[in-house]
Amino acid sequence: MRYAADPPAARLTIALDELVAIYHRPSGATHLLAPPAPELLDALAEGPADAPTLLARLSRQFDLPDADPQAIAARMEELVIAGLAWRA
Amino acid sequence: MAEDCDKPENSAENGGNDRLASTGRRGVLMLGAVAASSVVTIRPALASTAASVLNCKIPIPDPPHGGKYITTDGKLVAPNTQGAFAPAPRPVTGDEARKMINGQSPAGFDPNARQAYVNYIRRLQHGTSGFTCYASLQMPGR
Repeated sequence: MRYAADPPAARLTIALDELVAIYHRPSGATHLLAPPAPELLDALAEGPADAPTLLARLSRQFDLPDADPQAIAARMEELVIAGLAWRA
Repeated sequence: MAEDCDKPENSAENGGNDRLASTGRRGVLMLGAVAASSVVTIRPALASTAASVLNCKIPIPDPPHGGKYITTDGKLVAPNTQGAFAPAPRPVTGDEARKMINGQSPAGFDPNARQAYVNYIRRLQHGTSGFTCYASLQMPGR
């Protein structure tokens, strides 16, 4: 399963301490995201990717103590349901 | 993340990808349990917003592919392809799309083409006419 997201310019992002508020311009909806959801959206800026690829992209920037493609897929499904990403 | 607060538009342009690279240190990122949740959607409370979502339109097919037929699995093929369905006679509204997805066949559309139209809508990609309308329908609670 590959996932894709709108380019970063489609989102207005405000950091709220641990959370990130994202206004999604195409749908006019606002979302509150906890890690690792904002990081996953950032990782998709490079282009559509499946869970292992997203894991690889995140691992370039972060230490991932619980690296698990299934957890990535679960987080991505949440972003799909929210309308911030879609299955490509 | 703190930079985003001060310069949200800049961070949108940069994709936020530079911020960690520029700090030169690696953060620890927990992915969380499979069953955990990390996204909350705030739905606009304005009734007019809900109305606009239900009245937005999805052309089937999108204008650059006008006249093409739609297969049962939602792909576009040449006009008059056997087994495929003719284009929708008019754009499907958000409300009608939701009914089709729920198995109903709104007036004015060939009931036999319903599944083809639904699959076409589900395959809509960003940049295709009607995608934003469909994406809005996906918002929780719609």
